[in-house]
Amino acid sequence: MMRTHAAEAWVEAPLQRFVDDARVLFALLLHPSGQVLGQFGFTRAVDVMAACALAAGIHASAGQLGRELDGAPFHELYHAGKERQIFIGEVRTARGSFIFLTAFGDESSLGLVRVFFAELSERLAQVVPPRVDGPPLAAASLERDLARSLAQLFGRAPAAPDGGDAPLSPTA
Amino acid sequence: MSSPFEDVLATLIRQRGVLGCLVVGESDGIVVDANVQVGVSEAAVAALAAALYRRARLSSQSAGLGRVTFLQLEAERGHVCAVGREGLVLVTLAEPRAHIGLIRGAMLQSVEALA
Repeated sequence: MMRTHAAEAWVEAPLQRFVDDARVLFALLLHPSGQVLGQFGFTRAVDVMAACALAAGIHASAGQLGRELDGAPFHELYHAGKERQIFIGEVRTARGSFIFLTAFGDESSLGLVRVFFAELSERLAQVVPPRVDGPPLAAASLERDLARSLAQLFGRAPAAPDGGDAPLSPTA
Repeated sequence: MSSPFEDVLATLIRQRGVLGCLVVGESDGIVVDANVQVGVSEAAVAALAAALYRRARLSSQSAGLGRVTFLQLEAERGHVCAVGREGLVLVTLAEPRAHIGLIRGAMLQSVEALA
């Protein structure tokens, strides 16, 4: 069975539960900056990096479009393809908002994905660690964190001294 | 805004012990129209019942049994019944005391309206 991979440990269980319940092909949780927190289904770091960049861009565009049209950002987006469909949603937590992207085929449906996405959001909001205040995110640290989170997902990064996951830089 | 399924749903909800009835897209699991009691999680029931019906339909076809005419799930605290046609599924939730025979008859009559 394929497992989810998480750059931050608190993401793994809720994400795995979502994947098991919704029967999706791919799932990705990321920070709005494009920094990946957890993934399922991807086998190459470059694909994760591309998906994160695209998801962050789409989410930002949709947010602005929602503000223009509806006075508030759109929080969910859905696109249907010939065989695969994608859903992008915003997960709100005490530590800020995250972007969730998932791709699914005939094994699932938009209705199921929306139902289990709501559950995923609740679970993530319950387990999210408190925000750590730190210096503003600089371009250099963003680049470093992006590279490190990808390396952690694909098993190329060292763990923290206590044996756990090395935390990523604090983000606003 | 009224939908073409209002009458069908109104007929079913009047049956004794019926907690709710919904018309759902079979492929996307999204509610088209619904008439449910307060406390019924409409979106979740729709998505899961549509997935259940779809699997049952595919299983029946694979087994060479033809199309699914009526699907009934009996649970500890009630029943989920489903009939489908033309990509839509009519789902009814009922209490254990409900008369499933009457509900089944009403649903099979109503399924014509899904076409």
